Amino acid sequence: MENILDVQNIHTFIGQYHILQGVNVRVPKGSITALLGRNGAGKTTTLKTILGLTPPREGKVIYNGQEVNGLRSFDIASMGIGFVPEHRAIFRDLSVEENLKIAERKKGDYLRKRDFIFNLFPDLKRLITLSGTSLSGGQQQMLAIARALVPDNQLLLIDEPSEGLAPVIIEHMMSAIRELSKDSTVVLVEQNFLVASQLAEYYVIIEEGRSVQDGKMKDLAADKAAIHRFLGAA
Amino acid sequence: MNTFLRKNIVMLVAVLVLSAFLIAAAQGMDKQDFVITLLRGLAVGSITFLVASGFSLIFGLLDVLNLAHGTLFMIGAYMGWTVVVRPDTFVDLLTPLALIVSGFALGDVYPLLASRIRLGLSMKRMLPWGLILVSILLFGFILPRYPIAIWDVGNYGQSPVIFAFMADSGTRLPVMPAAFTEISMPVALIGLLLASILGAFGISLFDGTPRTVHLSWRNFVSIAIALIVAVAGAAFNDSLTTFLYGLSSNWLFFTAVLVATLSGVALGGLMEATLIRPLYSRPIYQLMLTIGMSAIGIEMVRAIWGRPEFVMPKPAFFDGAGEACPATNFADWWANHCSTILLLDGRVRVYNEIFIPLVGLVVLISIWVLLQRTRLGMIIRAGVQDSQMVEALGINVRRVFTMVFALGVGLAALGGVLATPSMGLSNVMGESLLLNALIALAIGGLTSYPGAALGSVIVGMIQQFIIKYGQIGIAIPFTDIVFKPTPPLVPASTVMLMVIILLILPNGLLGKKE
Ligand SMILES: Nc1ncnc2c1ncn2[C@@H]1O[C@H](COP(=O)(O)OP(=O)(O)OP(=O)(O)O)[C@@H](O)[C@H]1O
Ligand SMILES: [Mg+2]
Repeated sequence: MENILDVQNIHTFIGQYHILQGVNVRVPKGSITALLGRNGAGKTTTLKTILGLTPPREGKVIYNGQEVNGLRSFDIASMGIGFVPEHRAIFRDLSVEENLKIAERKKGDYLRKRDFIFNLFPDLKRLITLSGTSLSGGQQQMLAIARALVPDNQLLLIDEPSEGLAPVIIEHMMSAIRELSKDSTVVLVEQNFLVASQLAEYYVIIEEGRSVQDGKMKDLAADKAAIHRFLGAA
Repeated sequence: MNTFLRKNIVMLVAVLVLSAFLIAAAQGMDKQDFVITLLRGLAVGSITFLVASGFSLIFGLLDVLNLAHGTLFMIGAYMGWTVVVRPDTFVDLLTPLALIVSGFALGDVYPLLASRIRLGLSMKRMLPWGLILVSILLFGFILPRYPIAIWDVGNYGQSPVIFAFMADSGTRLPVMPAAFTEISMPVALIGLLLASILGAFGISLFDGTPRTVHLSWRNFVSIAIALIVAVAGAAFNDSLTTFLYGLSSNWLFFTAVLVATLSGVALGGLMEATLIRPLYSRPIYQLMLTIGMSAIGIEMVRAIWGRPEFVMPKPAFFDGAGEACPATNFADWWANHCSTILLLDGRVRVYNEIFIPLVGLVVLISIWVLLQRTRLGMIIRAGVQDSQMVEALGINVRRVFTMVFALGVGLAALGGVLATPSMGLSNVMGESLLLNALIALAIGGLTSYPGAALGSVIVGMIQQFIIKYGQIGIAIPFTDIVFKPTPPLVPASTVMLMVIILLILPNGLLGKKE
């Protein structure tokens, strides 16, 4: 199977700190791949390293067969990678519509994708003129995902979409992610193992800055001991 | 209505306090004094706003406290003065300045060039320094030999003070055109272009990250413009000079405003690309750099234009005098272009107290439209909050940084040149204005655009009212005492107000909580 993303032994430093010390992630095209691990394991840093926001000092990031480590973030993103960061990062001074429009890479992206997006998140449609600040946590999360859908992205990096959301909203979020994964590959960071195991086909476990285990999600779900050891969850 | 009240409570209270203050101020003085003081406050506020808004845009988006902003305001003033008083000097400068900038206009091409060069590691380390050294040597050789007709700061009879005085009284001293003698023109032009390209290439190599560059004609537009300006300036030097000398004082002033603003834009872009950009990861060094730049800028102005203060001729449009002046209504004013107009029996200077506030208003609205209605403005507003996220969307934020820095410096330079006909020119004009602008921003909110406007107007008003009361005195109620605020109270009072506001609202009137 073809990998859209191949992260090979990356080492990332933030200031003096050696945060990632050898992370390998292979993401098959069209799949949902979950990055799992305890708090502070380095999942977010892995996503940021892929995008070049915290460039790796060693190792390679190969996207669509092309080495992208060392390129500037906006160049990497422009190759078709969408980023839904931890804590959403909605632009407060922009309206909901502007938060979507700003993600355009070609003129008209927003108009083209509008129906698809509002189909996925009907709530957003009536919020369109509000400012980014006045949204609830769940609405902000929807907007953050929607923003990554405006341009034609082949790969979406989604960081903890269920964080701080009510169960009903999480359900809604999950079906949306399932829906959009029909068109693009998804790398999902998720603390909630139940959510991760229902969505993802593959997984990679990161522990203290290293990738320690990967494989098919259904094998991991059956291995209670591994789940307990790596994730501390039942 | 209720939510409106709650959201804008600070604004409303500020407006109320301000109006109360104005009403109180109006009690103690004549109607005409009040109107004039109000307009002067607006004028000072407008100039302050031009500096403060650029400063705040730069700080908001780039997180750079550009303490050289006042100096850049001053450089705008001196540039504009040069165009009005010595057009020949300006025309002579056009070519070398355009050539110095031209290399940096090729910014996107260098990464491509760099990727073609295969060198060993130690050579790769040396290359940028080598290029920069060659560039400096070339500049050092050519620039002192480049012929520029200029005043002589050392000789009083040929000093800017005299040129300014003569131009102000409507005559011009004869000047000697400069000619290429020490160096031939082609050598000078090609040498400067080469020096600029080598220097810009060298500096670009410090930023080691490779880039995927898709070259198109767009990448060459800026250098083409620079080269056209350079070649035209050299080829048509004489006719351009004659043309500028023949212009009416209005058109010459307009040209000066345009030139000063554009040189501010170019200088800002150059400064960001060469000095500020390598230091984004070291904010303290950046701060020290801007302080150093400010000192260097002042010394350069002293070396070129000298230390004494001098005047800027007012354009004839605002300088009429005679029987029909001061004008009593607008139609009268239009017919005679009087320098003053009677408003409620007070003599108002049209340029200082009406034109400048109008320009301030136009700029206020234009920048607001830019911020709220264009894609660039959207990116700026988003980037002020989280520039990393903007970059993660695939937007070249660094380029927007350069544009905003250039825009901010352009606004300061515009403020500088506009202020000259009323304030004159001096080496310290920038310092005091930067201080005003910083106080205005502290009052209004450091990164808030409406805050910059509100703060600037408040600072301008307070200063002017205190100056006025310094002349007429405040009659303390129920006593015979007339209190006259002394001049040192002017800056002190604005600082006091700043402290009071910051104690109540740490983020200023319209600033957002971080
Ligand atoms: N700016 C920083 N400076 C210093 N250390 C940092 C910085 N950012 C992250 N770290 C450290 O890097 C490690 C990995 O952080 P990261 O955010 O990638 O973890 P994570 O797996 O996403 O955790 P979480 O589940 O809490 O989001 C943590 O130990 C964190 O403390
Ligand atoms: Mg995280």
